[in-house]
Amino acid sequence: MKNRKLFWLFALILALAAFLAACGGDEGSSSKDNASKDDSKDSAAEGEPQKGGTMVYGIDAPPEGLFNPAFYGIATDAEIIDLFDESLITYNEKLEPEPNVASWTTEDNKVFNFKFKEGVKWHNGEELTVNDWLFAFETIASPDYDGPRYTNVQTIEGAEAFRKGEADTISGVEVVNDYEINITFDQPRVNNLTNLWSYPLPESVLGDVPVAEMSASEWVRTTPIGIGPFKVDKIVPGESVEMSRFDEYWNGDVNLDKIVVRVIDNSSVVGALQNGDVDMISLQPVSGPEVEPLENVNIVTYPGLSYYYVGFKLGKFDNEKQTITEELPKYQSKELRQAMMYAINRQEWVDAFFFGYAKVANKPVPTAHWNAADDSELNTYEYDPEKSKEMLDAAGYKDTNGDGFREDPNGDEFVVKFSHYATGNPTFESRAQAITQYWEEVGIKSELEMVEVNLYYEMIEKDDPAIETFFGGWGTGSDPDPSGLWKANQLWNYPRYNNPKADKLLDDALNIDIVGTDQQKRTDLYIEWQKIVNEEVPMLYIAELEEIRALNQRVGGAKFDVSGQNSPAEWFVTE
Amino acid sequence: MLKYTFRRLLGMIPMLILISIVVFSLAKLMPGDSLSGEIDPLNTNPQYIAEMREKLGYNDPLPVQYFNWVTDFVQGDFGKSTRFKVPVADVIMEKIPNTLFLGVMALLITYILAFIMGMYSGRKPYTIGDNAIAGINYVMLAIPSFVAAVFAIYFFSFHLNWFPFGGSVDILVEDGTFEYWLSRLHHVLLPAIVLGAMSTASYTQFLRNDIIENSRKDFVRTARAKGTPMKKIYNVHILRNSIIPLVTFLGFDFAALIGGAIITETIFTYPGIGQLFLDSVTNKDYPILMALTMLLSFLTLAGNLIADILYGIVDPRIRLD
Repeated sequence: MKNRKLFWLFALILALAAFLAACGGDEGSSSKDNASKDDSKDSAAEGEPQKGGTMVYGIDAPPEGLFNPAFYGIATDAEIIDLFDESLITYNEKLEPEPNVASWTTEDNKVFNFKFKEGVKWHNGEELTVNDWLFAFETIASPDYDGPRYTNVQTIEGAEAFRKGEADTISGVEVVNDYEINITFDQPRVNNLTNLWSYPLPESVLGDVPVAEMSASEWVRTTPIGIGPFKVDKIVPGESVEMSRFDEYWNGDVNLDKIVVRVIDNSSVVGALQNGDVDMISLQPVSGPEVEPLENVNIVTYPGLSYYYVGFKLGKFDNEKQTITEELPKYQSKELRQAMMYAINRQEWVDAFFFGYAKVANKPVPTAHWNAADDSELNTYEYDPEKSKEMLDAAGYKDTNGDGFREDPNGDEFVVKFSHYATGNPTFESRAQAITQYWEEVGIKSELEMVEVNLYYEMIEKDDPAIETFFGGWGTGSDPDPSGLWKANQLWNYPRYNNPKADKLLDDALNIDIVGTDQQKRTDLYIEWQKIVNEEVPMLYIAELEEIRALNQRVGGAKFDVSGQNSPAEWFVTE
Repeated sequence: MLKYTFRRLLGMIPMLILISIVVFSLAKLMPGDSLSGEIDPLNTNPQYIAEMREKLGYNDPLPVQYFNWVTDFVQGDFGKSTRFKVPVADVIMEKIPNTLFLGVMALLITYILAFIMGMYSGRKPYTIGDNAIAGINYVMLAIPSFVAAVFAIYFFSFHLNWFPFGGSVDILVEDGTFEYWLSRLHHVLLPAIVLGAMSTASYTQFLRNDIIENSRKDFVRTARAKGTPMKKIYNVHILRNSIIPLVTFLGFDFAALIGGAIITETIFTYPGIGQLFLDSVTNKDYPILMALTMLLSFLTLAGNLIADILYGIVDPRIRLD
């Protein structure tokens, strides 16, 4: 009896050991295969596209599982959607809209006529028609819709009435036939097209689902379909997605047989790349220096559409009235702000904290945008502590009581309070500290406060008195118009910058009566605006980021530009 | 026994109500809500955020919010996850099998290792072997599991290629086949070893002390006097007596099984309750957060009850009534 018990115990241990050995052996041999393959085809990835093969695409956070463009909320979900679905309209490397499935004509930027390609298939075999697009509009404009995309449908004539239940249809959308649709906007704008919602929604499968239940439905979560080159075969929630080639893809051949999307924790990214366990993944700047030495991995960088800044609270905003109601005196001096800009060695800072994957910025428009002003037209605020000191002296910020720090022009103590958000990332505090040190070097006493990130943006938004100067970042979309982040009547104009002249320029740049369809005219107005905000520095422009992708050598055909990646249909792997 | 159980169960009700108030208050005291945080101007706009706050009831007075939550909760409606947009129960049910699997494997590893080490230590107390085992045990207990996890991944996954570095299954194998289960086992082993092997200390030392204590008892002396071999005395007479108190540990392990290993799961990107919990904290997904905290509190209470009852069963000297 006792022997039998012991026997079972050891049998169990043996069985475990056997599993261990079996599994271990397996993995070992397969990775060896990988290694030898890598050696044999060093440069093959640059050559002819090859058919077949499986590519592993890494994402660094678990997806939420909302695999539909109309419903997703986070970037990882969007990355997965990009592999199996396509927008009707794409953007070229100048971020200008280009026809994809849909082409368009317009006379006045108010009424657009769209024509769809025929024979475009959904993954379930149904043909894509303009009704799927209409269905997307009606879903997003429905009062039950729980996603954040209404802003892209709002500008269609009659969308507001439809949302309020005053109309059964959106009056601005008129279906001509299955492949042709007219869309009328509530008013002519130059950016009506770029703002418009450009993904169809499969009516054939979601048509019977009430809008309120769509985001929880299987067609969004477990068996999503799209019109892209790959179709989703299987989803293991929170960790991986398997996709295979869609044979009826409308736009040419697809090279890869399969794409496997895998969640890889940041702590494992470098190891996974080195071992060839992942073929393509976006990198954080901090991982760059570790990945660069890997021989089997190439790093591709392309311009991003985001910038970091240090903002000044110049006023208070009343969200009810949508106006700036109060002016805060502390940082109103333009000379002070400029001096604080000259005091910061932004190049040194960017190199230290972004490892070369960012550029110094002088304006709040990412350089990749067509309306970005060239640095030659702007003051680049080269690091110049002496000039900074002179400007502070001239503006009246002098050390009057001999404590080594400057007092304000009235002779009172002057302390700059700088806030930065805190997450688990330990580099945030040191990079914020570095900025305060630059200021202290020119004699401005500075205090740093790290604020928990969720609270941080709320405090900024509510103009909490504890926030005086703050570190922040914005991402801009393919529409380069900065109105939503800069005009005096906008909640997200966090510095509460109030300059009617600047606002007028932004309005004019969108006003079809002034600029018509002449992009050069618009560009000139935007450059004019950038000169103003570059001169007045309501925020100190710090850096614009680059996007970084790591690719295994065996991956080919992948191209990246400011609009993102090329169609995954063109990607291939060499075996 | 029945009366005792019943009394304990009744006693849990006020406790649960108190816990629910604490859980709710703590969740609401957290700065910001699920709609605050870093704003992406491409995907949202201020009107949407304001509308969603209204829709989700974040603008109601706190007692109203609490009452609504509790009313729904006792009816089995845990609310809808603000992040996943599906009922909380679905999200939790999706993750529980993974976590249970990991928990059971880890527990198994803990038991096996603790058993072997405890028996050896108990039999040869105060020897070099015993001290070494105690030393190793406490060092392991002291190493934070996330450090161990990162090292384990580096060494066993990337260096030796024995184990996958994350995930719960290879997506390319077909569900339900033998390979599928093998793949799951293969994926779960490394996190289970990290979790299981690191927490053997309490079991080992408990078993060791009990064996030492029992070996000095009269029945052992009698058995030796009768000429029973030492091996038999230790493996049968003593061991069987020493295992009894260990049984009560089972009750405490109950909550730990579901609670999973928050950090370890995240590092191994193992989609279980622990990872869900951490993600929900960072994203202020209150409904999930509150449901999970309530679930874990309840399991801890239930685990304690089970432990107490088991104790009465295995040791009749302890009278519960």
